[in-house]
Amino acid sequence: MSRKLGTGGAINEAIAIAMRTDPTVILMGEDVAGGGDRSKEGTEEMGGVLGTTRGLVGEFGMNRVRDTPIAEMGLIGTAVGAAATGLRPIAELMFMDFLGTSLDPLLNQASKLRYMFGGKVNVPLTVRTVSGAGMQAAAQHSQSLYWITTGIPGLKTVIPSNPADAKGLLLASIRDDDPVIFCESKGILNQSSEVPEGDYEIPIGKANLVREGSDVSLVAFGATVRIAMKAAEALEGAGTSAEVVDLRSLSPLDEEAILTSLEKTGRMVIIDESTPRCSIARDIAAVCVDKGFDFLQAPVKCVTAPHTPVPFSGVLEQAFLPSAQDVLDAVGQMD
Amino acid sequence: MASAVSMPKLGMTMEEGTVIDWPLELGKAVEKGEIVLVIESEKTEVEIESPASGVFRHVYVEDGETVPCGTLLAAITETADEPFDADAFQAAEDRPEKKGDAGLQVAKAPGPKADTTSSEAPTRKPIAPAARAAARKLGLDPEEVPGTGPNGRVTKQDVEAYGRAREALVQVDGNVSLEVLVSGEGDPVVLLPGLGTDVSAFARQIPLLAEAFQVHGVNPRGVGLSDSPGSESYEVAQTAADAAAAYKGTAHIVGASLGCAAALEMAFNHPDRVQTLTLITPFTVVSPRLRALADAWPRLAAQADPETVAATLMPWFFSTSFLADDTARARTRRGLAQTVARVPAITLDRAVAGMLNWSNSRSEDLSRIAVPTLVVSASEDLLVPDCEAITGKIPGATLLTIEGAGHAVALESPDLVNQAITAHLG
Repeated sequence: MSRKLGTGGAINEAIAIAMRTDPTVILMGEDVAGGGDRSKEGTEEMGGVLGTTRGLVGEFGMNRVRDTPIAEMGLIGTAVGAAATGLRPIAELMFMDFLGTSLDPLLNQASKLRYMFGGKVNVPLTVRTVSGAGMQAAAQHSQSLYWITTGIPGLKTVIPSNPADAKGLLLASIRDDDPVIFCESKGILNQSSEVPEGDYEIPIGKANLVREGSDVSLVAFGATVRIAMKAAEALEGAGTSAEVVDLRSLSPLDEEAILTSLEKTGRMVIIDESTPRCSIARDIAAVCVDKGFDFLQAPVKCVTAPHTPVPFSGVLEQAFLPSAQDVLDAVGQMD
Repeated sequence: MASAVSMPKLGMTMEEGTVIDWPLELGKAVEKGEIVLVIESEKTEVEIESPASGVFRHVYVEDGETVPCGTLLAAITETADEPFDADAFQAAEDRPEKKGDAGLQVAKAPGPKADTTSSEAPTRKPIAPAARAAARKLGLDPEEVPGTGPNGRVTKQDVEAYGRAREALVQVDGNVSLEVLVSGEGDPVVLLPGLGTDVSAFARQIPLLAEAFQVHGVNPRGVGLSDSPGSESYEVAQTAADAAAAYKGTAHIVGASLGCAAALEMAFNHPDRVQTLTLITPFTVVSPRLRALADAWPRLAAQADPETVAATLMPWFFSTSFLADDTARARTRRGLAQTVARVPAITLDRAVAGMLNWSNSRSEDLSRIAVPTLVVSASEDLLVPDCEAITGKIPGATLLTIEGAGHAVALESPDLVNQAITAHLG
């Protein structure tokens, strides 16, 4: 059975299921319970800045749904410690831009402990964080920094493209014994779609072939999957059959799915809403050129944002983000 | 037994060291662990202990010398009088390290081939990686494949099409293979194109003929993928022999222009292989105008691009009314340019030489032709004026003259030509 649900609702449901099925799962973050008034156990005031965790404190209480100070280093550091010593925390990093103030516990602790202690310690931590542009939240609250966490061995980075995937991927992330950075793209937060009821997981590290095609591969993830689908429909009208691959997970990366699609079509466009330098798009382009060279019929194209801060102006922000037209232009340059 | 004192490697980055002092006198006893040598490396002096007890027997490197790590510096023997061969010991124990990146091994170095002596900068044609891979699989050189992608890039599909065309090669004589395009099922029909063209000259006939016959379009020597053996001329009789080797049994032979010359030679030299003849704008003597065109064409082909060659040929091949249609003219010129691109100037030279050698050699033999023959002529043909006379000399031959058409009548008036051929072949 399924029903229509928004991305926030699907995430809320996944957290509730995880907390019901495992007493070691806790949720912590800025305003995730109810905000500043600790006396109001059971309130549903805030539930996070976007209301994603609303209602959870009512069911699970303030011991398991904990508001933290506005101090990301302390929040994430505490979560890493809790994970290393027996809990299975979900920490909410309100915006991915705050990665800067919380990086050391992730970069040097969470991602390294299992390796450095010979597997005797696990860090079953999930960091949920809102990434990307599209809400006019300006340059310090709109960045897509998943390329940083993807570049750190020992961290997994997951990025769903729709509500149903968000629920299944989040359940898999919480139950994973390694630290997972779970990116909630702003571009999908206002989406709703059919979401299955009950408890289900979507495996981390497996891409999803969301549309089959034979002429060009569009590799996308998070909010760019919708852009790729829109471009694919327009291309179909012009007689070009586009395949769309939703990565679902950036680390581990499903190289096999990418290369299988490239072998089939010979042409590759990667759509990534982050800035281009050191991006996921260029990382995948390198995989295609290195391991899929003999499949290439045309240069690999990366459709990304420009190398600038995210503009505040709504008009400029839309120009900054990759669009379906950008994808069509890239395909047009191939032949 | 002797023990070696060598320049030690005291750190990952140490490559060499300098001998500062030998504190012991040569020939004196030494204890294991006693300081036997002082060296300097990376601005630090280090005392080196003796690796064994014995006699300080031989010094290979004097004070002040700088040598690589691993270099044999001295020998310590167990006793003072045991036999010791200093050179043999050095040969066995001296292992100086190579400096720098000597440990790196280059598996394979891509780059210009050593035998490339041409001083011209190599012109690299754009070839898609997938096309290179497909070419490797098919065992062909992607540089040979005509590209249809952007900027003439060779695509995978180009390579595969080329591979399929190459499979159409039929060995006709010794090492000579011709491109023979086969389509349809039934009794064989052999198509012989004229000077400077390929089987595409019959593009408007092949689909219809292939419904009832097995059509063999034979590209002569030097045309398209057919081999181009070195020769002064491509003789018409050889073209006929090649064509006869390209099919089995007896066939309906259809020639156009110089292809008619080959068709006639087949009737003379391989009569049991010929069921009927269809001669589209034939000649037995090269007319002065055809001669003049045959002078110009190879020169033009050597110097101009295919588009220009095609544009220049248009007035010779087509009628006034056909040329009056701008769309048809442009489309036909593009098609002709593709055909022209498949016939290099050297092939034209050889084919023209063969044509001139053949001219006027068979005028008196036409009466010997014993197979049903259809002659198709065009009223505006500028190049071959003798169709009526030829028809008159071939016993039982019929003539169809298409009014208002030019030399390339098979392209210009395909419906009338096709009707006549279909009726003639039965």
